[in-house]
Amino acid sequence: MSVLIARAEAQNPEAGLGQRIAENQRRVFQIAYGILGNSADAEDVAQEAFLRAFQKFASLREAEKFSAWVNRIVFRLALNRQRGYRRRLVRDTAWQIAETPAMVDGPKDAEQQVMLERLRREIERLPKKLRTVLQLSLVEEMEAADVGAVLGIPTGTVRSRLHAARKLLLEVMK
Amino acid sequence: MKNPCEIWKDRLLEAILTGTLTAGLEGHLRTCTTCSEELDDIRAREARLETLLPLVAQGSEPSANFRARVLAAADAASEGKRARPWRVWAWAGASAVVVVALMIGVTLRRRAARMIRGDELAAAQKLVEWRAPSDGLLVTPGQEILRTMPRLGESYLNVPVKTDEEE
Repeated sequence: MSVLIARAEAQNPEAGLGQRIAENQRRVFQIAYGILGNSADAEDVAQEAFLRAFQKFASLREAEKFSAWVNRIVFRLALNRQRGYRRRLVRDTAWQIAETPAMVDGPKDAEQQVMLERLRREIERLPKKLRTVLQLSLVEEMEAADVGAVLGIPTGTVRSRLHAARKLLLEVMK
Repeated sequence: MKNPCEIWKDRLLEAILTGTLTAGLEGHLRTCTTCSEELDDIRAREARLETLLPLVAQGSEPSANFRARVLAAADAASEGKRARPWRVWAWAGASAVVVVALMIGVTLRRRAARMIRGDELAAAQKLVEWRAPSDGLLVTPGQEILRTMPRLGESYLNVPVKTDEEE
């Protein structure tokens, strides 16, 4: 059945477009956001990633691998944008970020916000290889294997880099 | 003086990250309050990190109309694709016209460069036909005098001069 669906979609990729966006948008956006740290840029890049994925959908042999495919596309696009506009990119600050369930009330949350902002800065200071692995690992539904697939590195390497990243963060987040 | 507990620093971090205490570290912790306190501190930091890290990526979401925007952009892109054959032909035609115009322009320019204006041609002709006034001496009766006059070697050194006939 999935083969039939895949064939049908290959002939008419726009048919399942809305469904695929709905299923992947959150993760795709978060990958871009992790690298760019800016909602507007992340949304632009996520949109571009979906468009590119759909334009070349026919060349994707296994339609069920769409998620992994679009992950790689958005990651590359985000990195390209980061390189191209490094000086211009402005990270969202804590007050610009939408409220999350953890931010409920009182001074405790204010303190958490400060800590979160500090953590973001410390992540930015991590060596690039460690930072990228950490940022991708933080995206929902992204297991070590998924991160490895995006970066083109073995799962074991993902785990060891993640371990090194957390260790550095533990040292600096006193 | 160097802190003697410095050597345990890395092992404390590893202990928290891996969740296992090595026998050596365990023994040290029984006797060292500084390292025990440090271990508790690292444990607290790890717990805080565990809470904060998920928030780093979840701090922002795509906007509510994101899906609609992507679909609209996809529609626009496919519209553009459909319209492309006409555009391609239009561009090809325009390019061909420009190339032909350029070729004609270049040919005319080269031809014009090769053509010589009438007055320039007349001046060149004059230049070709021009003779120096001294050229006239060679065909005047003066030539005879030059032939019969004694030559330099003949007058002073008595060297027989070859006549034109002997030559």
